[in-house]
Amino acid sequence: MLGVLLATPLVGAVLLWRAVGRAAVVLHALTAGLTLAAALAVSARVLGEGPLTALDGFLRADALSAWMIALIGIVAALAASEAPRYLAATSLGRFYPLFHLFVFTMLVAVSTDDVGLMWVAVEGTTLASVFLVNFERTRASLEASYKYLLLCSIGIAIAFLGTVLVYFAGVQQFGDEVHALRWTTLQRVAPGLAPRVMELAFVFLVVGYGTKAGLAPMHTWLPDAHSEAPAPVSALMSGVLLSVGIYAILRFKPAVDAAAAPGFARRILVALGLLSVAVAAAFLWISANYKRMLAYSSVEHIGLVCLGLGVGGTLGTAGALLHIANHALAKTIAFLISGRVRTAYDSTEIAVVSGLMRRMPRSAALLLAAMLALAGLPPFGLFVSEVMILAACFTQGFADVGGTALILLVIAFAGLLRGAHAILYGAPTREPMKEALGWRAVLPSAAALLLLLLTGLAWPPGLGDALNRVVAIVVP
Amino acid sequence: MTPAANLIAFLGLVVTLLIVWRQSWPARLRLFVAQSLLLAVLASTIGVLAARPGLLLVAAVFVVIKAWVIPRVLARIGAGVPARPLAPGRSIGISLLGAGGLVVAAYVVMLPVTAATELPTERAIPLAFAMALIGLLLCVTGRDALGHILGFLVFENGIFGLAILATYGLPGIVEAGVFLDVLVIVLIMEAVVVQVRREHDSIDVDRLRELRG
Repeated sequence: MLGVLLATPLVGAVLLWRAVGRAAVVLHALTAGLTLAAALAVSARVLGEGPLTALDGFLRADALSAWMIALIGIVAALAASEAPRYLAATSLGRFYPLFHLFVFTMLVAVSTDDVGLMWVAVEGTTLASVFLVNFERTRASLEASYKYLLLCSIGIAIAFLGTVLVYFAGVQQFGDEVHALRWTTLQRVAPGLAPRVMELAFVFLVVGYGTKAGLAPMHTWLPDAHSEAPAPVSALMSGVLLSVGIYAILRFKPAVDAAAAPGFARRILVALGLLSVAVAAAFLWISANYKRMLAYSSVEHIGLVCLGLGVGGTLGTAGALLHIANHALAKTIAFLISGRVRTAYDSTEIAVVSGLMRRMPRSAALLLAAMLALAGLPPFGLFVSEVMILAACFTQGFADVGGTALILLVIAFAGLLRGAHAILYGAPTREPMKEALGWRAVLPSAAALLLLLLTGLAWPPGLGDALNRVVAIVVP
Repeated sequence: MTPAANLIAFLGLVVTLLIVWRQSWPARLRLFVAQSLLLAVLASTIGVLAARPGLLLVAAVFVVIKAWVIPRVLARIGAGVPARPLAPGRSIGISLLGAGGLVVAAYVVMLPVTAATELPTERAIPLAFAMALIGLLLCVTGRDALGHILGFLVFENGIFGLAILATYGLPGIVEAGVFLDVLVIVLIMEAVVVQVRREHDSIDVDRLRELRG
């Protein structure tokens, strides 16, 4: 079953390499649809009946993997639905095969038991997406992709150093073991690992994978890459790729908690989380480019996730994991709509597109909803998960952290809404023009919005159980 | 095994410092090849002395990729670059001083690791880590794309050395993945640099300054 999940996007990518015209669009839709179906099937199976393994335990999906697999499947399908519309305005290039290759690498990263292979797959996500960032081959996108490739490669090499040290600790303690890089082994032997080595390893892992996750101060590549990439790719990068970085850190956290001094992981994650929210709050106020604004909003939300995981406990971890899902949905809508706006105006400047509500009413309404959700307002899911994270801070004795986060969130909130107001209701610089959008163009984003309302208002049956199972992996 | 590992790691560090010192691109490339060859010798020495035949294979692949394929790609990227930078760079003295500081830092940071092991190669671990740190320094202070890539590769080599010294090699599948990744990174870098050169008529990445704020 895991094999099918991983093979679908890979085979699709290979077939799409030579496909052109109508056949490419059909094959693309088919690959995305089947990937979504396989992802949902695997998640449902794992969350219902327990972990799935394949290839002698080399591939393994537990509840945490299932959570990420479902998210990647959903966001990839949403982004895929927008891709043909984006490509109609540009050249085809190798967009489709790279898109599915990118999805494939993310799926491998979250469905292997081997932290070495996870590292290879996370590096693979950079390599598969770098040409997608530079897809339009402008000077700006070239600069963005150069920065992206260089900084993320350095970051991921630092994460490799951390992985080597974890392996070293395992081998030192338990002799030569073939499975010393297996996550399941790591969990078992963690309490006996050399504490200082594990602490050092965790620092390298957080800096390394934190670069991929876009945590400040390693986030400097992120606004460039996310704003220059084509909209469907921005949605994937912002919606799920950042969370894959967080996922990698999360895989090591229980072992570090068991081996190292209590509170060691917490202090690092809380500090980086607060710093990310602070940096994002400042830049949300000065961004004059709406795609950059969305990118900084990603830094803010990933910072919050990191904070929630750092504070930990059942409530903090559950809030953080739910926040990952909510942010993925909201940011995907926002980026997909921003792509349409960009195609219509040929600009990403807020000043140029102001007064969007009158010119593109349907897209603007969806964008407004996504922006309100990203600002953390009810009735959307992000409100609930933010409250969970903050409540975890206050109830678990980190009132200072919670208070600081709350102040920063208010600043970020005001910055984002100020930007949204300028985009949607400013004085139009051009004559309003009716957009012609059928229901099919609105449907995917509307569906994502509905999911956001569900996580905000009434959890569907099973979501609470599923979340509990995921949390149980991180907080044993 | 201890003297051999110490000696080779020490030579590797000397070569790394020479990369910091030399300004001419062909010389730096030759030094990078020398460093890669030294690390391959290190891997095969440990492979023989610790009876790990797998390491010999790793060393062979390492030579092919790091001492042959990648240098060829780098030479292709660097073709036409003036051998010496036209504008005098940052002071070599300061760079070397920084590199020396990093060697000290490497010993301090690696204390928990050397304290946790009785391996005969224990003493050489900080030397390999120093190589990695100096590579990072080269990468962040590099003024053009070649400097960045070279710094990154030296960094990579240092981590490889550390992995060999501390764990006698990672599982094969991971090593294979790492080699493949590095190779693909360098090839993608080449494609990106070719485009930078076409757009800006230079590989001086300081000219990439469109994105701000």
